[in-house]
Amino acid sequence: MSAPMEADIAIVGAGPAGMHAALTAARGGARTVLLDEYPEPGGQYYRQLPADFEVADRSRLDPDFTKGDGLLAEVRAAGIALLNEASVWGSFDGGVLEVMHRRRALTVRARRTIVATGAIERPGVFPGWDLPGVMTPGGAQTLVKGQGTLPGERIVLAGSGPFLLPVARTLIQAGRPPLGVYESTHPLDWARHVLRLRGHGDRIAEALDYRRVLSRAGVPIRFRTVVARAEGSGAVERVVLMDCDRQGRPLPGTERLVEADTLCVGFGFVPSVQLTRTLGCRHAYDERRGGWVPVHDDDMQTSVRGVFVAGEVAGIGGAWAAMAEGALAASAALAELGFEVPAPGIEALRRERRHRRAFGALVNELFAPRPGLLDLVTDDTLVCRCEEVNAGAVRAACRPWGGNVNFIKGATRCGMGYCQGRICGPVVEALLAAELGLAPGTVDHFHPRTPIKPVRVSDLASLYND
Amino acid sequence: MIDDAIQPGAEVTLIVDGEPLQARRGQTVAVALLARGRRVLRHTRNGGHPRGLFCAMGVCFDCVMTIDGLQGTRACMTRVEDGMQVSTPLRFEGREQA
Ligand code: FES
Repeated sequence: MSAPMEADIAIVGAGPAGMHAALTAARGGARTVLLDEYPEPGGQYYRQLPADFEVADRSRLDPDFTKGDGLLAEVRAAGIALLNEASVWGSFDGGVLEVMHRRRALTVRARRTIVATGAIERPGVFPGWDLPGVMTPGGAQTLVKGQGTLPGERIVLAGSGPFLLPVARTLIQAGRPPLGVYESTHPLDWARHVLRLRGHGDRIAEALDYRRVLSRAGVPIRFRTVVARAEGSGAVERVVLMDCDRQGRPLPGTERLVEADTLCVGFGFVPSVQLTRTLGCRHAYDERRGGWVPVHDDDMQTSVRGVFVAGEVAGIGGAWAAMAEGALAASAALAELGFEVPAPGIEALRRERRHRRAFGALVNELFAPRPGLLDLVTDDTLVCRCEEVNAGAVRAACRPWGGNVNFIKGATRCGMGYCQGRICGPVVEALLAAELGLAPGTVDHFHPRTPIKPVRVSDLASLYND
Repeated sequence: MIDDAIQPGAEVTLIVDGEPLQARRGQTVAVALLARGRRVLRHTRNGGHPRGLFCAMGVCFDCVMTIDGLQGTRACMTRVEDGMQVSTPLRFEGREQA
């Protein structure tokens, strides 16, 4: 059997949190392993073009493509063992990660583990959301930033939250402005929180900058508007929009049609916690952090000793919080292992993290998914894309099977497919809670099963063959 | 390409459902198909419903197809290679399709 790869600190996920964690760890002198699922590091925020693409003059590219250049160069020069196309699929022993690196199985044994697996988009669920041409806003952005390709011709952007703005900007810079941005909340809903914006001038300036780019490109933003359904034969051809009330409830008689071939709908993000669950970390439900999050201390250590979290997996908080937390988690891990902690040090990082998190919590509160959006999930609306389970079947299972989503999973197969409920999990939780009149966060969550990423038995055999 | 400063890699040819398809190195299989106007990547097992790219980043598994003999491979996570054999679960042979 091949020997495990040994490290002082192993980091899962090479987005803003993971890269800052790895840099800090390496600077402190720790043997550092950084694992990432994609062919290039960067995560969604610093998404890189493929190495096989040629860019004659990077200075001519939009900053979207180049903002990670400096950080990536530092990561590459820091003596970090960076493994791309490496999926962590399980863990059977404390400090041991089972990894599929391309098609080769690998075991990583580390004294400390930092989970920086990021977030998953919360999709819009409405009749027709399974039609080709409907995708997540992050998916559209990935096509542009990661593949230099546009998702379609006539693009509608909808849902809720500040992420819609950078996606609109990405499309505008790529020469294909969206037909409109449809936001389900309204600035009036935000007004009473205005005082909490103090001290976050840099984030506000960023938002205003996006607004300017949109209005210069003539892209309208409409508030209290939701996508009621997508229509078309074989792919999206039309989008039906409706006005909605404060609770997100669509208002009858307000339907209007937009012809479009691409519809991107997203309601922010949920933490990607499959790995922290597999590692046995305790989780709690916190709406201000995007849902289920691993419980952690001031220095990002979870309830499992030696396992730290950083970035969106620890609660939706944006890239700036992620960077601070990556460095903080690595600093705390270094200190525990007896290494020297590089500047700026634990105290400064704790302060920076608290500051960034305060803004993130505000954003999550302002754009929390409104209960009325479930009105769009009619009984014949698909809920589980993998196992093809519709909302009617889920609702019918709610009363007989009671207040735990895992019973609903057993009764209907929803959440049992390839994606293991990553996409439908939050929707099924919301449907069940609404059906039984319970608060969100009281109906449990889907328990992931190992392997948390599909692996082939024939590829696993490589552990024993060399 | 969205920007003429960006040049995709060398030309390669994949075989998709028996037909040759030109693509460029660095592209994913899903994007190579999208670039040729193919928005439908597969049909579902039970209902025979069409599906396309949804998350485009490996989370949703809606883009799974058989690539070089390996079933259930995500087309959005797999980069093209010359001579790659792709078969999309398109010719659905179950229930009647709309
Ligand atoms: S489109 Fe979601 S995994 Fe490929």
